[in-house]
Amino acid sequence: MFLTRSEYDRGVNTFSPEGRLFQVEYAMEAIKLGSTTVGIRTPNGVVLAVEKRVHSPLLESSSIEKIMEIDVHLGCAMSGLTADARTMIDHARVTAQNHSFTYDEKIKVESVAQAVCDLALRFGESVHDEEAMMSRPFGVALLIAGIDELGPQLYHTDPSGTSIKYDAKAIGSGSEAAQSELQDKWHKQMTLQEAQILTLRVLKQVMEEKLDQHNVQVAQVTAEKGFEILDETSLKSVIELM
Amino acid sequence: MQHVAVPHAQPQQRQFNPYSENGGTILAIAGANFSVIAGDTRQSEGYSIQTRYAPKVFRLTDKAVLATNGFAADGNMFVKKVRQRLEWYRHAHAKDMPLRAIARLIQTMLYARRFFPYYVYNILGGIEEDGSGAVYSFDPVGSYEREACRAAGAASSLVQPFLDNQIYFKNQTPAPGTTHPAHLPLSHVLSLVIDSFTSATERHIEVGDGLEIYVVLAKGSALQGLDAIQGLSELTTTDDGERMFVIRRNLKRD
Amino acid sequence: MNSLVDRFSTTSAQSEIRRAQALAADDEEFSDAAWGSEAGFGSLAKGVPTFSVPSIADPSAFLRLHTDDHADPNCRIKIQHGTTTLAFRFKGGVIVAVDSRATAGSYIASGTVKKVIEINPYLLGTMAGGAADCQYWETYLGIHCRLHELRNRERISVSAASKYLSNLVYGYKGMGLSMGTMICGWDKTRCRVPAVFYVDSDGTRLKGDLFSVGSGSTHAYVSTAAGHRDAFSGNTCNLYHIKEDGWHFIGNYDISKMHYDGPGDVPGGPGKGYGYDIRVEGRSSANPPPVAT
Repeated sequence: MFLTRSEYDRGVNTFSPEGRLFQVEYAMEAIKLGSTTVGIRTPNGVVLAVEKRVHSPLLESSSIEKIMEIDVHLGCAMSGLTADARTMIDHARVTAQNHSFTYDEKIKVESVAQAVCDLALRFGESVHDEEAMMSRPFGVALLIAGIDELGPQLYHTDPSGTSIKYDAKAIGSGSEAAQSELQDKWHKQMTLQEAQILTLRVLKQVMEEKLDQHNVQVAQVTAEKGFEILDETSLKSVIELM
Repeated sequence: MQHVAVPHAQPQQRQFNPYSENGGTILAIAGANFSVIAGDTRQSEGYSIQTRYAPKVFRLTDKAVLATNGFAADGNMFVKKVRQRLEWYRHAHAKDMPLRAIARLIQTMLYARRFFPYYVYNILGGIEEDGSGAVYSFDPVGSYEREACRAAGAASSLVQPFLDNQIYFKNQTPAPGTTHPAHLPLSHVLSLVIDSFTSATERHIEVGDGLEIYVVLAKGSALQGLDAIQGLSELTTTDDGERMFVIRRNLKRD
Repeated sequence: MNSLVDRFSTTSAQSEIRRAQALAADDEEFSDAAWGSEAGFGSLAKGVPTFSVPSIADPSAFLRLHTDDHADPNCRIKIQHGTTTLAFRFKGGVIVAVDSRATAGSYIASGTVKKVIEINPYLLGTMAGGAADCQYWETYLGIHCRLHELRNRERISVSAASKYLSNLVYGYKGMGLSMGTMICGWDKTRCRVPAVFYVDSDGTRLKGDLFSVGSGSTHAYVSTAAGHRDAFSGNTCNLYHIKEDGWHFIGNYDISKMHYDGPGDVPGGPGKGYGYDIRVEGRSSANPPPVAT
């Protein structure tokens, strides 16, 4: 009568009798294999931090790019299949530029998160008689940080096309431990520097290697300077403060 | 379908001409914390008056008013489409569109018809995010500019020079030891608007019948003598935002 | 009358096609972007914005008939035109100077137009020809320059930006765009030199040291007399200087005042103008020449 689970998880557009879309659930699993990524919102700005897995001494660690700029007031960190994120971030960038072209204003953080989710949901979909453009769900989750007229904000988006606003959020392989640590340590009136230190402390706990300025990357979005990735010297000084 | 051969005595030329010109004039002036947008209500084609009351000034949001002039059908359709886009924006971004965003949106909407233009001259008036009064004027294909005042339509060449003189103080030398004011008070602006239209009615056949003046006041600003004006009614919907009024008056009907 | 009936009748095959065309066009006019997101892939969903075109045999002739006020001053839709712009390259960067008059037919539609379009903090574009064409496409160029910057982590060169614009408008060649512009900037990443490119709606793109565009351009090549000699130019003059760190707005000068009284306090300027007195001196008894000593 009913097909077995192994038959329901083939197609991206078939629900199982229990009402599940297995391919989407598997995509969420892909994120749990990714490197740990942390984001914290403070009244003065948002901080993003990622772990870079430098699995070979011959690897140029600066070429690992896990935090990217969307626009001057928007940044984004990823975990999972980072190649998939490039498509999503390019879409976010185009949406942000399109918005500023049509409305002569900066796009809201929520709208960008929503735009990314619109794209995430277009798997297995075909327009008119064309072939579907995307055969599977994206295997990546994003932390989108930004500042708009509503202040600093942090959004989390996942392969199911859901976007949720957070004060602090961790994704990736160490996310469970990291999230409970964030829950303990986060408070409303955090300064930007406290947030920088907390992200690194959380990463340090879940990382196998010893944390230094080569295997983590920190970025922040502030009202004054917009999005910026911390260079090695300022990253080093934060690590020393830990 | 039966085909009947029609003998052509002479060569024929056909043109696609979807445009008409419906007369009338619009005008907007920005003050420090208010904006005034006005238009007459006569709609004509050639020498015949189609109606004595066809509004040319439309309220878009709590703080934005759009005046259209040129071909009335295009104008009405354009206003409809702008309102539709404003509604969609509200759903997508959970806020009302700011004035400068509406101005840019109108540019892109007009330019989308670059090869089949709307025959419409638009003037957008209202209050900016910083609380200042603003006027944006557009050409039919979307070039735009923020200004302090602008007249468009049939009598624009009569009204604009008057405004240049009275608002920009063009060709006026201030009395020794004084300077021209940067912004005029609301009561002064209203009398300039009324004078502009009564004068235009005297000298232009396509202007007259009725006058509609929309006034938008920035958040928290006083009425500035507005309550003493005849024919005033308030359109404000919120308690804590901008206030909007319309003044309806008669112009000569001959 | 027959043609009218035919156009609006619901039975003929032609009107069916027309209706389909109209529906498709309507569909495109409000793309998903209106909802906040296009959910397209990579470059701006369809590449360039879509435009509605009348479903007639020759749309460009239609456009010319109704909007081209050079060929026919009686045409209905008067579109704003801009006129005199000039820019040149020198060792200290680029100087850009433009007038501020927009005309619609013979009517001076505005005397306060910004004909320098600030594409981004280090690129300027000038406006001559159709005001809307320049404003729209140069703003559009601006977002693409920004995307280039985000994707390549490097500023776009002046050469690449101007090429992008020229390719863009070339796609609409013959459809009635009117644009003559100079893209000016200072290349930061590669050659580190100031650059000026001339781009127009015919598809011309020229690199050069000195350009002057618009109906007053022949006068502008000679001096700043364009505002005085050309009726389509005038009002005020906006002056910009592009340095290594981006553009700087120098000031706004009244052209008539500048012509008669001289530019005044412009650094390095001659200070004197072509005053009325200089020319009528000695021509009337009321104004005798100075007595020789």
